[in-house]
Amino acid sequence: MSFNARITVPAQAKAGEIVEIRVLTRHPMDRGGQSDGKGGTVPRKILNRLTATYAGEPIFRFDMHTGVSANPFVSFTTRAVETGDIVFEWREDGGATYTRTARLTVT
Amino acid sequence: MSSAISPRSARNDRGIHRRSLLAGTAAGLVATGLALPAFADTPPDLAGLVARVTEGAVPERARIRLEIPALAENGNSVDTRIVVDSPMTEADHVRWIHLIAEKNPFPDMARFHLGPRAGRAEVATTLRIAQSQKVVALASLSDGRFVMTDADIVVTLSACIDGG
Repeated sequence: MSFNARITVPAQAKAGEIVEIRVLTRHPMDRGGQSDGKGGTVPRKILNRLTATYAGEPIFRFDMHTGVSANPFVSFTTRAVETGDIVFEWREDGGATYTRTARLTVT
Repeated sequence: MSSAISPRSARNDRGIHRRSLLAGTAAGLVATGLALPAFADTPPDLAGLVARVTEGAVPERARIRLEIPALAENGNSVDTRIVVDSPMTEADHVRWIHLIAEKNPFPDMARFHLGPRAGRAEVATTLRIAQSQKVVALASLSDGRFVMTDADIVVTLSACIDGG
C-alpha cells in the first residue's frame, strides 16, 4: 500500500560511539471512526509496532497507538558496536509487515 | 439576593461555590496525608491513568524532561522529544518511556522500549493531540522505579476532527 520509509543512519561510526537513528514513515495511520462518505466508518488501520534489530540483536521497539500522528517520525539512539545491518520491521493492523534495512559501518 | 443578570450567570455563580468547596476538600485530603505526594498537583483522572501504567507505584518527578511546544497550531502532528537522565548501563537504564494524553480518546499514545544498548535515553516522535491538555511522559527504570513529568499544551486546531 502507501507505505514508504526514510531511514537516516550515519554511514559510518567509531566503535562505542552513540549514533542517532531517525525514521520517517509514510503511512496514513487511520485511527478509525471517521466517515467513509458512504454512511459507514473507516476501520482503524495504523502501524502498531516498529522493532529495530542491530546485527541480529533487538535494540529498540516503538509501540504506537492512535495517538501517533500520520506519517510518523521516530528517533532513537544506539551504541555502535560492530558493522552490521539495522533491520526495521513495522507491523500494521491486520497483520501486514514491512521491512527495511540500513547498514552501519563501524570503524 | 444574587446580582446575576441572566440565569446563565447565576448558574456560574453556584458552580464557583461548588468548585471552591471541592478544592477545600482536596486540600484537606492533602493535609491529612491521604493523597499521594506526586499526584497532589495532578488531576485525579490523570493520576488514575498513570497508576494503571505503573501498576499502582508512585512515580518520582525527576530525571525526565519532556520537550513539547506550549502552543501547537495543529494537533495532528506535534513534535515531541523525551530525554531521561540515565547512564544507560546494564545496572541502571531506562526500560521504557510511555506517553499519556489524558483528554485524547485513547489516552495511551505510545511506548518506546529501550535498553542498555541505546547509550542515551533520548527519543522523539510526532503525536496527535486532541485538545489543549496536560501531556505526561512516564519512564520505567531498570531498578523498578518510575519517573514522570508533564507539560501543558494549547492546541489551536484539534486532531480527531474529520480530515485528521
